[in-house]
Amino acid sequence: MTSAIVGEPLPQVSAQEKTLGRAIYSGDVKVAGMLHAKLLRSPYSHAVIRSIDTSAAEALPGVKAVVTGADVPERAWGVAHKQQHVLARGLVRFAGEEVAAVVAVSEAVAQEALDLIVVEYEEAGALLDPEGALDGGAPKVHAEGNLADEINISRGDVEAGFAGADIVHEATYRTHSQYPGYMEPMATVAATDGTGKLTVWTSTQSVFLARQRLAEALDRPVSTIRVIQATVGGGFGAKIVEERSSVIAAFLATVVDRPVRVGLSRLDDIQSGCFSVPTRIHLKMGMMRDGRIVAKDVQVLADCGAYAGLAPEVMLVTAMRSDNMQRIENVRTKAQLVYTHTMPRGAFRGFGGTQMSFALNSHMAVMADMLGMDAIELHRKNAIRTGDVSVHGWNIGSCGLPECLDQVQAAIGWDEKRARPKGTGVLRRGVGMAAVMHVSGNRTMGNWDGSTVVLKVNEDGRAVILTAESDMGQGANTMLSQICAQELGIPLSHVTVQAPDTDSAPYCLGSIASRVTVNAGHAMLKAARQAQGQILEAAAEKLGCDADELSIVDGVVQSNKNGNLFAPLPEICRYHIFRRGGEGILVRATHDPQTVMMDKDHYGNIAPAYSFAAQAVEVEVDTETGQVRVVDTYLSDDCGKAINPLAVHGQSNGAAVQSIGWTLYEHLQFEDGRVMNGNLADYTMPTAESVPTIQSGIVESNDPNGPLGAKGASETAILPGAPAIANAVFDAIGVRITDLPITPEKILAGLAAKEESQHA
Amino acid sequence: MREFEFLEPQTLTEALAMMSEYEDDACVYAGGTALLLAMRQRMLSPGFVVSLGKLDELREITFNPAEGLRIGALARHSDVARAPDVQAHYPMLAGMAGGLANPQVRNQGTIGGNLCYADPATDPPSCLIAMDAEVTIAGPGGERRLPMREFVVDFFTTALEPGEILTHITLPPPRPDRTGLYRRHLRTPAEHRPVANVALTFRDVNGVPEDVRLVIGAAVPVAQSMTRAEDFLTARAITLDVAAEAAAMVAEDIDPISDGRGEEAFRRQVVRAITRRILAEAAGLNWKDAAA
Repeated sequence: MTSAIVGEPLPQVSAQEKTLGRAIYSGDVKVAGMLHAKLLRSPYSHAVIRSIDTSAAEALPGVKAVVTGADVPERAWGVAHKQQHVLARGLVRFAGEEVAAVVAVSEAVAQEALDLIVVEYEEAGALLDPEGALDGGAPKVHAEGNLADEINISRGDVEAGFAGADIVHEATYRTHSQYPGYMEPMATVAATDGTGKLTVWTSTQSVFLARQRLAEALDRPVSTIRVIQATVGGGFGAKIVEERSSVIAAFLATVVDRPVRVGLSRLDDIQSGCFSVPTRIHLKMGMMRDGRIVAKDVQVLADCGAYAGLAPEVMLVTAMRSDNMQRIENVRTKAQLVYTHTMPRGAFRGFGGTQMSFALNSHMAVMADMLGMDAIELHRKNAIRTGDVSVHGWNIGSCGLPECLDQVQAAIGWDEKRARPKGTGVLRRGVGMAAVMHVSGNRTMGNWDGSTVVLKVNEDGRAVILTAESDMGQGANTMLSQICAQELGIPLSHVTVQAPDTDSAPYCLGSIASRVTVNAGHAMLKAARQAQGQILEAAAEKLGCDADELSIVDGVVQSNKNGNLFAPLPEICRYHIFRRGGEGILVRATHDPQTVMMDKDHYGNIAPAYSFAAQAVEVEVDTETGQVRVVDTYLSDDCGKAINPLAVHGQSNGAAVQSIGWTLYEHLQFEDGRVMNGNLADYTMPTAESVPTIQSGIVESNDPNGPLGAKGASETAILPGAPAIANAVFDAIGVRITDLPITPEKILAGLAAKEESQHA
Repeated sequence: MREFEFLEPQTLTEALAMMSEYEDDACVYAGGTALLLAMRQRMLSPGFVVSLGKLDELREITFNPAEGLRIGALARHSDVARAPDVQAHYPMLAGMAGGLANPQVRNQGTIGGNLCYADPATDPPSCLIAMDAEVTIAGPGGERRLPMREFVVDFFTTALEPGEILTHITLPPPRPDRTGLYRRHLRTPAEHRPVANVALTFRDVNGVPEDVRLVIGAAVPVAQSMTRAEDFLTARAITLDVAAEAAAMVAEDIDPISDGRGEEAFRRQVVRAITRRILAEAAGLNWKDAAA
C-alpha cells in the first residue's frame, strides 16, 4: 500500500492532454491518402425511393465515389431487431435518414456533389404521432406493424391493493426527447490495408459492440475489423450502438479502398445521432393513510422512431426499474414501444429511468399533499433498505437513499422553505425534490456482465492497463489508474491506460449500464493484487525472506520485519524478467459478478449493486412571462464509495445541469417530421449563466459487492432533476406540469387555467 | 460553406470600390459572428467576402460634449460596453452592449455588423432608436445620414443600397434631464437572443415624462416605436396603473413575430410584462409585488 490514492479528489488522468489540446479525437486522425465523405439525407419522413441519379455528382472533379442504398450489403443490422442498412434501401422511414454518400478529396467537394445527386421520391403517408401508431389505419413503419415491443409485468394482487387503499391517484405524464449534447459530434476515420483488413478509429462507448455491429452491417467476419477508440468527447449513451455515421464511414472505406473520414457537423450529428425515447406514462397508485404504497399500475407508450435499436431495453427500464426503489408488493405494468416515421431514439444517460422518475416523483408529491404528509417523509416511508429483496427480485446490498434524503433536506433548507407562506407577487419561489435508483451493471446483455483487465508491470515498475472499457469522459481511466496505483503501491503518474483496441485489449462490453466501476474496477483490483503477488514472490526470492512479510510502499518493496530488507520496485520487476527466462509481469483478471439473468417475467437480481440519489431544488417562477429559473440545487449520490470524490461531484453536477436542460431549456421541434431547430442556437442547452451554483453531496453506503465498496456514479444523478423542478414549480405557483419540457407557455397557460377555476 | 475570395481593403475608398464592383456577390465581413454561420449553413454564398478589418478608423469611439457620441461601425459590442465615454454619458447603451448575446459574440461581433445583418432577435436597434441615433452610410456617391429608425426596413433587410457601407453610428449629446432604460427578456435563461426587448427614454420634467420614446424590439420584425403609448405617457405621472395601461396598449399595438421561439400571443404577453416593468422602474416603483 502507499499513501491514499483511492478516495482522493484527484483530477482526471486525461485532464492535461485534453486541456492542452493534445488529446486525439477521431476527427483529428489523419491517415495518408485520406478522403472525406458527406451524407445525403431524406427530406421526407416516409417515401419510396424511385430512382437516384448520381451521374452529375460522380462527374464532379475530386469525387471518388457516390454510394447509394443499391450498393450496400443486404444484411440488416440492429440490436434485437435487425432492420437497418448502411444506407436506406428503396424506402426512407424518417426525415434525415441517409440515402447516399459522396466520397471526395475534400469535405467541400463532397458537399458540392451532394447537391448534384437527383433522388426521385414518392412520398407516402407518414406516422408522426405515436398515439395513433396502433390504430388499424395508421401508416405502417415496418411490414410487421408498428408495435416494436411490449412488456407486461404483474406482481402481487394489484386489484386487491387498490381496493384496500385509502387514497388512489392517477395521472398521465409525457416526456420528450433530449439530444445527448456531447461536446464532440460523431467522427470516424476508417481505412483498409493491403490485406483488406478494416481499421476504424471512432468515438464509441464500446469498441467490441462497435466491431460486432460493423461485422453485421458490412457482412464480414468480426476479425477482419479492428476498432480503436479515439479520445471520446462525451457519449451519454448515444455512442453505444445506435449512431449511424461510423457504420457508413467504415463501409465507404471498403468501397473506395482508401481511408475515409466522416466528421459530422452539429446539424448532421443532430440528424443522425440518437435522442432519448419520448414516452407517455399513465400512472395509478394507491396508498394507505400512513403513506405506504399498496398498489401501482403503470402504462407506458414509448416511441422508438423508425428503428428499434436499444429502445426496447430502454423501455424495460422505464417500465420497472423504479419499482425496486420502494418496498412495494403489488405492481402491474404494461409497456408498449411503437415505431413512428421519425428519427430513431434510444439509449441516453439514465437509460429510460428519467422518464419514469418524472412520473413517479411527480405522483409522490401529489399524493404526499393528498395525505397531508411531507414528500421527503413519504419517500423515506417507502424507501427500500439495505438487505431487502425488491419486488422484482433485486438484492439490495447497500442503500443510502435515506441518507441522501437527509442530505438534500438539510442542504436546501427544506423544512423552512416548505413552511414559508406562499408567495403572491410576480416572482414566486418554491422547492421540490425527487428520489431515484439506478443499476450498477446489468446482466441482461447475454447473461454475463464480466469485465477483464490485463495488467503489465514494466521493468521500471510502472504499469500499463489494457482494457476495452471505455473512458468517454466519465473517468473510467482515472478510476482504473487509482485502484491500480493504490494496490501496487506506485504513484498514479506511473500508470497508463491503453486506448481500447479490439486487436489488443481483452473483450469487454464497454461503458453502459454504469457497469465499469463496479465490474472493471473489481477486475482491476484482482489484477493488481495478482501482479502484486508475483512481485512480492520474486522479491522474497531475491531478498531471501518470506513473501508474507513484504509489501510495496511508494515504489519500494519493503519487509515489515526487517528494515534493512528492501528493494526498489524496478529492481524486482527486472529480476522477474531476468530470472524467469524473460517473462515479464503480465497478469489478466476477470470479474463476472454473481448476478442472474432476468427470467421471462423480468424477475431476478440483474446487478451486483444498486445506486441511489436524491435531489432538491428551489425555483423562481416569473408569473408574467412564464420563465422558470432554478435558483438552488443540491443532489446527493449514493455511489457506495467515492473512489474519486472530485469525479463523482463532476458527474453529479453535470447530470444536474443536463436535467435542468431537459426540463426547462431543450426542446426538439419538428415540422412534418423534420427537425426544425437542429443547431445549438435554436436547440438551447444550458449555459453557465442559466444554471445556479450546482451543489452535490456524496453518500458512501459501501456496497459489499462493489470494488472497495464502490457502485456506479454517473447515471443515477440524471434521474431526479426533472420531477424535482416540476414539484418546485408546483410549490411556487400551484400549477402541476405533467408534460415536459416545462415551457413558459405551459406555465402561463397553467396560471390562466388556475385563475379561471378560482373565479368559476 | 462554399469557396469564396477573402478581400482585405486598406482604405474605405478601396472597400467601396470592391462593393461596387462585386455588388450582390459580395458581403461585408465586420466580425463574422452571424455571417459565418449563414455561410456555413449556405443561406448566404457570396463569391467575395470584403473584410473591413484593416480599416482601423472604423473601430473608433469618440465623444464630444457638443456633438455627442460617434461609434465606428467596427466597434465590437464589448468595446462599446467598456468605453469610458459610453459608460459615463450613455449608460443605457453601455448596459445594452454589455448584456447582448454572449461573451463570445460581444468580443467578436461589431455594432455595425449587427445592424446591417438586421436579424430581429437582437438588442441594438430598439435601444439606438430610443436614443435618437443616426447612422452614416458611405457609398459611391459620398456619404449620407439616416435616422436609425429608417435604417432597418424588414427581416434581414436594411436601407443600404448595393455598394454602400455603414461607417458610423452617432448619438446626440446627452442631456442631463433625459433618462433612459433598456431591458431584454429571454424566453428561458439558456437563450442568448432576446424574445423581446424594450427601450425607453424621456425628458424628466419634475417627475413627469416628456418627449417619450418607447421602442419594442426582437418581438417584432423591425424595432417599432410605440407612438400611441408614447403619447399616452407624455406629461402623465407614471403610477403602477399607468404603467399597466401603457403596457397593455403596447402589447395590443405590436405586430409580433410568431415562430418556434414564441408564438404571437406569448410575445404579446412578454412585451406587456417587460413594458410594465420598465415603466415602473423608470418611476422608481416596485412591480414585483403584484401582477398587472
